[in-house]
Amino acid sequence: MLFSSTTFLFLFLPIVCALYLLVRKELKDYVLLLASIFFYAWGEPRYVAVMLLTIIINYVGAILISKYKYKKTLLLLTILGDLSFLFYFKYFNFFVENVNELFGGHIDFIKVIMPIGISFYTFQAISYVVDVYREEVEPQKNIYKLALYITLFPQLVAGPIVKYHDVADQIEHRTVDFEKVTYGVKRFIVGLAKKVLLANTLGAVADKVFTQPIDQLDCVTTWLGAICYTLQIYYDFSGYSDMAIGLGSIFGFKFLENFNYPYISKSISEYWRRWHISLGSWFRDYMFLPLSRTLTLSKPYSFLCKHVGRKLTNTLITVISLVVVWFSTGFWHGAAWSFIVWGLYNGFFIFLEIITGWSRERKSLFGKFIQHLYALLVIILGFVIFRSDTMTYAWHYLLTMFGAERGETMYHLIYYVDRIEIIALIVGIVCSAPLCKRMVVDEGKSQLCVGALNIWLMALFILSAASIAASTYNPFIYFRF
Amino acid sequence: MNRDEIYAKLTEIFKENLDLEEIELTDTTTADDVEGWDSLAHISLIAAIEQEFGFRFAMKEVVNLHNVGEMVDLILQKIG
Repeated sequence: MLFSSTTFLFLFLPIVCALYLLVRKELKDYVLLLASIFFYAWGEPRYVAVMLLTIIINYVGAILISKYKYKKTLLLLTILGDLSFLFYFKYFNFFVENVNELFGGHIDFIKVIMPIGISFYTFQAISYVVDVYREEVEPQKNIYKLALYITLFPQLVAGPIVKYHDVADQIEHRTVDFEKVTYGVKRFIVGLAKKVLLANTLGAVADKVFTQPIDQLDCVTTWLGAICYTLQIYYDFSGYSDMAIGLGSIFGFKFLENFNYPYISKSISEYWRRWHISLGSWFRDYMFLPLSRTLTLSKPYSFLCKHVGRKLTNTLITVISLVVVWFSTGFWHGAAWSFIVWGLYNGFFIFLEIITGWSRERKSLFGKFIQHLYALLVIILGFVIFRSDTMTYAWHYLLTMFGAERGETMYHLIYYVDRIEIIALIVGIVCSAPLCKRMVVDEGKSQLCVGALNIWLMALFILSAASIAASTYNPFIYFRF
Repeated sequence: MNRDEIYAKLTEIFKENLDLEEIELTDTTTADDVEGWDSLAHISLIAAIEQEFGFRFAMKEVVNLHNVGEMVDLILQKIG
């Protein structure tokens, strides 16, 4: 079920909210759990079992880890269990394809569709067992509560990836109050508007450009497509996160923010602290830190420190960790080489920034401007790779952007954008800077101001709902991952 | 070793590892306040601290050190 569908907005959500607010405190978790499983089964009836199996594996795994001696082995086995589902459903055919190509084999593809949200809930499950292993949290004795953490429908299918230690207390005790509910509703509307009014509109432009054969695109059109896609993916995904955080708030949860105006970054390292924050911090806490830590504790590390110096050894560790983490980050997004290249591309620029000291605070306005321009350029070009179906397409697209190649254009620019899309483009650019930040917070505003904002939000909601009713184009990019 | 001595040593380690000329550490200093103290630098800082004071941090501690004050408390506890 999509958040931006009429079934969800006018049927599922009102019923679940009403039930949740009406039932006794002890029953609230069960209402939410059943609603979440129903929500998932609506779109993915066959694969509910996979999710339930994941819950059972991690429930048992965590209890064993907390009780028995071979903690590390048990942890690795549990993670292996989680990842094997992910591998089977998401990556198996990719490996078959590459093995066939490399060795000329004829291994058959398996007929399998990836269960929605598997990349997200698998990472949440891993977060849980690792947190238990690190003794940051107690293992959850009540399997229904663990199931609630993994299946919670606001973030189930497209994040944010909530870490267990961040919500462990909230799963046990949380309160629902009027303030949280109103904040949640407002936040949800903002997210819905971002998704429906901006992302869908700009997405239509990007799709028109990116579905053209590459030899029919010219420089201006490719830039238009790249910029529209960059804005689409931001409003699509941050809109989804706003809706998830808003829904969470309605049910008394406080999820951490997932986006913080990524496009105002001055470096790629900063960008990844502002973009899909929950994924970046997941990779930091559960992959980067343990990996580089293991490396610094290894024998070769102290050997190299002694012989080639500490600085160089640390740089080496950095390179190894960056390659592994950014390969994985790219691969997490999808089983295709373009995602892997996109991941490593990000890692490469982060490495460049480290060795050149790029992120250092610049005093002059010009210096800041250059930093900002650089970051935006890397981000936009990165999304071209991300959006392209094949690496060949991406390569020619990039060449066209920089005038090294030029296709025979069949259409005028007017074919790609109409008036409404141009407005969406301008609004999209303006709103990617922190100008409308205070729209959902009532604090410190006069009654009049709050009232006016509420009317504005109502208008946004009506516009979004009308747009949903009128249109059939409504994909969520991150559902694919 | 008391808090002040630990602070003096930490300041040296931070300066050397992060390539900074001046740095003032207090109990409430966090990674956000110090230029270059990102997760990459964090690991090498941790390794340098361990070498200086002669003990090991647990992974849980590596991930969850929120500010310099907590770091000093932990060092005191480990060497005490």
